[in-house]
Amino acid sequence: MPQSADSVSYIDQLQTKLNRQWTAIQKARLDSGTRRTELRKIFSLRNSPDTSLVVFGSVARAEVTGSSDLDWILLVDASALPEHKAQELSIQGTLADKKLIKPGKSGVFGKMVGSHDLVHEIGGEDDLNSNTTRRVLLLLESLPVDGIETYRRVRRQILRRYFDDDRGLFYGSGDVRIPRFMLNDFTRYWRTVTVDFVYKQVADRDQKWALRNAKLRMSRKLVFASGLLQCFFCHLDPKADEARRALRTKDNSVLTEYFETELSMPPLETLAKACLIRNVKPETASNIFDNYDRFLAILDDEPKRDDLEPAQSHDALRSSAAWREVSEVSRPFHRGLVSLFLRDDNELRDLTMEYGIF
Amino acid sequence: MRLIGFSTGALARGDFRRALDILHRRNLRAVELSALRFDELEPLVDALPDLDLHAFDFVSVHAPSRFAPNLETTVLSLLHRVARFGLPIMVHPDVIYNAEKWQSLGNNLLIENMDKRKPIGRTRHELEPIFDALPAARFCFDIGHVRQVDPTMTEAVLMLRAFGDRLGEVHISEVNTASRHDPISLNAVHAFSAVAARIPETVPIILETLLDQGQSDIDAEITRARQALTIPQNAFHVRRPVPTP
Repeated sequence: MPQSADSVSYIDQLQTKLNRQWTAIQKARLDSGTRRTELRKIFSLRNSPDTSLVVFGSVARAEVTGSSDLDWILLVDASALPEHKAQELSIQGTLADKKLIKPGKSGVFGKMVGSHDLVHEIGGEDDLNSNTTRRVLLLLESLPVDGIETYRRVRRQILRRYFDDDRGLFYGSGDVRIPRFMLNDFTRYWRTVTVDFVYKQVADRDQKWALRNAKLRMSRKLVFASGLLQCFFCHLDPKADEARRALRTKDNSVLTEYFETELSMPPLETLAKACLIRNVKPETASNIFDNYDRFLAILDDEPKRDDLEPAQSHDALRSSAAWREVSEVSRPFHRGLVSLFLRDDNELRDLTMEYGIF
Repeated sequence: MRLIGFSTGALARGDFRRALDILHRRNLRAVELSALRFDELEPLVDALPDLDLHAFDFVSVHAPSRFAPNLETTVLSLLHRVARFGLPIMVHPDVIYNAEKWQSLGNNLLIENMDKRKPIGRTRHELEPIFDALPAARFCFDIGHVRQVDPTMTEAVLMLRAFGDRLGEVHISEVNTASRHDPISLNAVHAFSAVAARIPETVPIILETLLDQGQSDIDAEITRARQALTIPQNAFHVRRPVPTP
């Protein structure tokens, strides 16, 4: 079993290095731990082979705040059984009884999902928006409540699809080895989120516009940034040395294991790792983490969240102090990410230019 | 050409003499004498001096897969009698209660990777502490077990990278979701072939497909095993043969 990347807190190390106290991030991590323990306890008697109850969103990112909802799927990696439907209903009922906030109305979460499409429909007409979302988030922000073997098996299958089908990993002419197929899927997911944001303005009549906007600027962007970094770490991380060597002999098993471990880290940890192991200026790291900390504090502040929740347009937000705060944190956060990827570190800049744009 | 044979338990459960007869008649030259159940071990060990095994190029013994800790000493004293014949002994790691006691079997001992039901020995990481505790032990690679645990065969590659130099025997069959040893399917052939080049041609292959109820037949299983483990030309990962002890 790969050693959990979770066990090393890069955030703690970065906080010490920069002499900062990110209290909202720390609180969210603690609250996430409590929520994870609670979920594992609630479902401790759910013993169903070849399935896994998987949670996404803030619980998986270790960013739980007061009114976090709970995005989940019942991942099934087995023959179809009538009992799977009963399990899905049972999970829905249990979470409703526990008053855990339901997933959104998109239909992406809150149901059972078979592994086949996740593994086999990467690209092409049948790779629906919901399928792409589940697949990418299964890698970038997910956590198994139970059925860890099933969860690992499906994630490994997805990784193998990305790597087996990526000829550049094996046959690329230069020294750089970036899992481009996976990177492009992460990028596609992020661009889809940004396009769908505008789509939902119309389709949802701007309901939850402000909150969705805030999340797009911060947590959604963070997830994409962490995915991009993970792909670049394949070339930059000393821990990936063996994986890169194995690629020269057409062996991607070590790379698969490397990514399994690294992708188990919450996105903020991945960014902290980049700030620690790359040539990243303190002000860049501060721009990212100070502002993300403030963002989580806003989400954890009930009146501020109440202020954002009903707002449906810029006009409605002009008088909102909470929205002004979101604007204040999202801009420097964005600048921090731009500096991280394009200014401070030459190798990161070159990789971003080479792989992140075209 | 690979040396391929059968486990006696797969051919005739609890009746190794009948299984040996079948193998003799087929002119198959590799066999694993199965004592998977505790009660089967002593009769097998008692019979060893008189069994006609000359026709076989490779003979090994499979130790019981389940017994209580208080029987460990008894099992070990019987296995030491097997070791005196120089036969390799396959053991499941979850019955090694006190690793120190097993060290005396030296490289006669082969540790097998486990199916998903077992709490240990399923992955490279789970096998590492076992080999650390038994540094002389060799590796019995159960390709069906590892595929059941990880159908991508990533774990198989990681295991062979880590323990390939200890490889002494391969078990092959299709291990279904209920962990039964089924006939090898075409999907399994395809999956197994991904690691064929990492298994030296000198390592004996033992089929564990249960045939006691007519699930398949010997020829079909041997053909599929051979097909699965044929080393492709220009393969990248051809491993050099491991010297036999």
